[in-house]
Amino acid sequence: MVAEKAVATYEVLSPWAEADPIPLKGISPRLTELAGKKIGLLCNNKRAAPLILNVAERILKDKYPTSEISWFKSRTFSVSSLEKDRIAEFEDWIKGMDAVVAAVGD
Amino acid sequence: MYDAIFIEERNKPTVTLAFEHFLNDAMSAASSKGMPVIRIIPETIVSESTVMDDIEAAITAVADDMVAALTKPLTPEEKSPKRREPENPPRIVFKGNLEEVNRFFYQRGWTDGLPIIPPTEEAVAEMLTGTDLPAGHLVTELEPRRGKATVERIAINAAMAGCLPTYMPLLIAGTQALAANPVCGMMAASTGSFAPFWLINGPIAKDVNIRSSYGATNPGDIANATIGRAMGLITKNIRGIRKQIEDMGVLGNPGKYSWVTAENEEFSPWEPFHVEKGFKKEDSTVTLTFPQSFQQMIPFGTDDKGVLATIVGNITPARMGLFAALLTPAHAKSLADRGWSKKDVKKYIVENARVPEDFFTRLGLDGSQPFDRGTGTGPGGTHEIFRPSPRDPDPVQVYVFGGFGSWMGFAQGGPPPITIKVELPKNWDKLVAKYKNIVPTYIRY
Repeated sequence: MVAEKAVATYEVLSPWAEADPIPLKGISPRLTELAGKKIGLLCNNKRAAPLILNVAERILKDKYPTSEISWFKSRTFSVSSLEKDRIAEFEDWIKGMDAVVAAVGD
Repeated sequence: MYDAIFIEERNKPTVTLAFEHFLNDAMSAASSKGMPVIRIIPETIVSESTVMDDIEAAITAVADDMVAALTKPLTPEEKSPKRREPENPPRIVFKGNLEEVNRFFYQRGWTDGLPIIPPTEEAVAEMLTGTDLPAGHLVTELEPRRGKATVERIAINAAMAGCLPTYMPLLIAGTQALAANPVCGMMAASTGSFAPFWLINGPIAKDVNIRSSYGATNPGDIANATIGRAMGLITKNIRGIRKQIEDMGVLGNPGKYSWVTAENEEFSPWEPFHVEKGFKKEDSTVTLTFPQSFQQMIPFGTDDKGVLATIVGNITPARMGLFAALLTPAHAKSLADRGWSKKDVKKYIVENARVPEDFFTRLGLDGSQPFDRGTGTGPGGTHEIFRPSPRDPDPVQVYVFGGFGSWMGFAQGGPPPITIKVELPKNWDKLVAKYKNIVPTYIRY
């Protein structure tokens, strides 16, 4: 007869941190059309981003010749998080836009 | 994603174009900022691609979606997203034998793939003896998940990693370092697979046996192995950065298991790194950087001329971020004996590390690809690779560790170092006495 081996059991604590619920926000109302609107192109420092937005710009200009395109180029991954010295400039640029297309290059 | 959310918060509609493999990452980022319904158009452009044919085709394919994302009326959910409760498991999360605990934790995505020590009440209570802070004390919250890094949660992850209680002061300071700069979260998640490199200075290094000499960053020492491991688990389980969900490292980096050393202060001829940063010699500190690459070289010579030539002649092209020369005490002594201070060495590297004149033409490139993406170095710009700036006044660092030999190293990439002072509990000496003799004894054969 084989004796049963005693197997240690462990009651273990959760390593996964608690987090508070984050208040959720909706997104802003959409435009009814893009013709005649000021469309911003937000470009981060990833090298694919300007290449992507160059194509997007050409497509938007073809489709909406009366729209106006304006670029904002960040020098990092994120103006709002990492470029505190440019926040005012970024805010001013946003104010002048009706809508924004962002490319993150990833 | 953060900038798109910033714009939406100012009542301007946005759409973000993102590589389809990065949707999880984008959605985690959006959720962490409270806007999970932000409009993202997945496209097929591989991260950082410069292949114009692919980019042209991919953006053309999603052009209508891009327009629709800016013009299609909002759904009720997009106007007012439903509240989501974060997953907060019970404190006691599982009961089972060693194998079952390990399997459960692994399947929940809570480990680094290696077996863990079960974090029982007893194991965590012992870990908590390493600090005077109460278990419920909130050290910080870590983005993007905004997980609460309480002392107990740090201790649970430390127990899993196999830490000794005397490492708790370092882990608490390390967690503070992770929160000190918002870019740390981005580094942990980046495609560049930046790995946290932990440099320990001050008396705590000897108190807890952090290796600083031969093979300092090799496996084999419990402190070097488990401190970095615990910080990796904290990044995963508190910060909420998981592989191929938020951590989009393309190649990955073995340094993410654990990359820890103490500076070899005993044999360095120079002031320790933390003293250079304004701390007292008797302070203990944790310094965090995020190199994505580690390169070792046999120098042209081990005298001052050979060591410096090896450094300025071997700076890796297509680089960016912080540069650290990893010098052995022997190399540091060669330099110091010839009158070089650490400051002199750093200045020499900044002034003499240059892009070779014919670098781009020899490669058939027009120079539009910068040698150093952080500084835009290259034709049409400067040939100096390192340019101190208000954002990065000290782009070159020197760390002295390792044994006595000829090899030297570079650690490249990431933001400037973050150095945090370590706070010790009142009964530190007793704790050190209790755990200090836990060291390997190798039998000769």
